Amino acid sequence: MLKLIGVEAFYGKIKALHGVSLEVPDGKLVCILGANGAGKTTILKSISGVVEPEMGTIHFDGVRIDRLDPEKIVSLGISHVPENRHVFPELTVHENLVMGGFLVREKSLLKVRLEEVFDRFAIMRERKDQLAGTLSGGEQQMLAISRALMLKPKLLLLDEPSLGLAPLLVQEIFATIKNLHQSGVTILLVEQNVNQALRIADYGYVLTSGKIFLSGTYEELRREEKVREMYLGEGKYVRRARLWGS
Amino acid sequence: MTDMLGGLAQEVVSGIALGCIYALIALGFTLIYKATEVVNFAQGELMMVGAYVNFFIVTALLDIPMLDGALGFLLAFAGAVAFAFLFGTFLDLIINRPLKDEPVFSVIMATISMAIILRAVMALIAGPMTRLPLSPFGSGVIKVGGLFISVHDLFIISSAIVLVCGFYYFFNRTKWGIAMKATSEDPMAASLVGIPVKKVYRNVWIFSMVVATIGGVLLAPRTLLDTNMGFLGLKAFPAAVLGGFGSVPGAIVGGVIMGVIETVSMGTLSFYFPWVKEINDIVVWIVLIAVLMIRPAGILGREEIERV
Ligand SMILES: Nc1ncnc2c1ncn2[C@@H]1O[C@H](COP(=O)(O)OP(=O)(O)OP(=O)(O)O)[C@@H](O)[C@H]1O
Ligand SMILES: [Mg+2]
Repeated sequence: MLKLIGVEAFYGKIKALHGVSLEVPDGKLVCILGANGAGKTTILKSISGVVEPEMGTIHFDGVRIDRLDPEKIVSLGISHVPENRHVFPELTVHENLVMGGFLVREKSLLKVRLEEVFDRFAIMRERKDQLAGTLSGGEQQMLAISRALMLKPKLLLLDEPSLGLAPLLVQEIFATIKNLHQSGVTILLVEQNVNQALRIADYGYVLTSGKIFLSGTYEELRREEKVREMYLGEGKYVRRARLWGS
Repeated sequence: MTDMLGGLAQEVVSGIALGCIYALIALGFTLIYKATEVVNFAQGELMMVGAYVNFFIVTALLDIPMLDGALGFLLAFAGAVAFAFLFGTFLDLIINRPLKDEPVFSVIMATISMAIILRAVMALIAGPMTRLPLSPFGSGVIKVGGLFISVHDLFIISSAIVLVCGFYYFFNRTKWGIAMKATSEDPMAASLVGIPVKKVYRNVWIFSMVVATIGGVLLAPRTLLDTNMGFLGLKAFPAAVLGGFGSVPGAIVGGVIMGVIETVSMGTLSFYFPWVKEINDIVVWIVLIAVLMIRPAGILGREEIERV
């Protein structure tokens, strides 16, 4: 469904991605892991068109998308829930959702989609007329996901949805993601909560300094000593320090 | 005593009319600022250009029978607005797009250059003469209570009210209006939900140009048509600050207050201090500083609340 080959991306002169290749098959939940600054967000931004890759190709359902505008890419069925939520703070929850459905032409369909979202997230219905900026962090995250669902995307890009949430809410978010996945949405997930993420993921990629360093299923990645040390908190400090250096 | 009060009321009405024009120009400023963080110093010149275009069309229509009256004025008005659409598109193309990722400062310099160029070009086209376009309503006045209100002022005030209501509806009730607000709040998130951000920016410039044109057309019969009339547009700047910079209702409230203060102080103070030529301007700025000392964010402005 989604395929990146040798993607390189820059911020000015800084190279953030050094030839990333990865694949997200239809109906799967794929997870990208990596330290801060590894380039996870940049991968998602390259896919959704916010960042234009300098090299490499990105194909979605057989269509090359790496030179398209973000508006065009989202219309093909890829919705990106950015890191830090990025809800529209001065718009109400309802207006945020209507904006999520900006590309839905028919008013009646927009209504149907709104109802679907409200059925899935009851809290959104309760907070319908509240300004998004006054929602709690967890509610904002739910809103950001709901907003992306307004277009019924085939592929959902989620960037650290559990960031900054209390443990209970983290559970809720992961339950939501699992739920979405089971209802047939293909998901590319970036997470720091490695354990939880890998448990629900079909496949994982480990990114270090802009390169894919390892990939595999949860079981395969679990067996990798380096992954255990780096992300699952099972290594010793000394050895970990050596690894970060490399 | 009643005479003085009557005179004051008279000036307040006249000030509201002038303030409505400031409000329209300040609205243009604010729209561009909110959407693109650019302070458009050419806003006053845009107003001047719009007023001239209207005047040219009116003059051209004068020779045609039937079109030398109000109908001609309306046609010219429509023509000027149509021109504003094209010119707004053009401004987006030459200022906004090429300088999109440059520092805001460069864009501001570009708007200042644009202001100077527009003044010079218009002086070339129109010649050095200052003109007084006639209001389509002539110099008629009507008497309301004990007040004499010029029909043109009434026209200004009602146009401004209609426009502001239109804007309110557009920004709060229509999909494109809300999309404009969303884009100015968070352009990245806007593009991620499929809002064509570039088109929105273009529309903002068009909007701003259209509002400026309407302001200019309404203003010209009150003052004079002059290539320097854009400097008057600079007063919309303190108006916007007074109301709360970046706030749309603030721009409107600030503009009206500014107009009233200016007209009233002109009417009363110039009598006592005839040797101070621009006494009204001085008062305007004093009020601005006083308000900012009490409420730094302006009357309707809000302190920025950052939520991480
Ligand atoms: N707008 C930007 N301008 C310049 N450099 C940037 C920009 N955004 C990211 N970078 C750099 O690119 C690299 C990759 O950043 P990216 O945000 O993709 O990392 P990440 O893996 O998502 O990190 P985190 O886990 O902290 O979110 C980093 O070194 C970062 O400093
Ligand atoms: Mg990131």
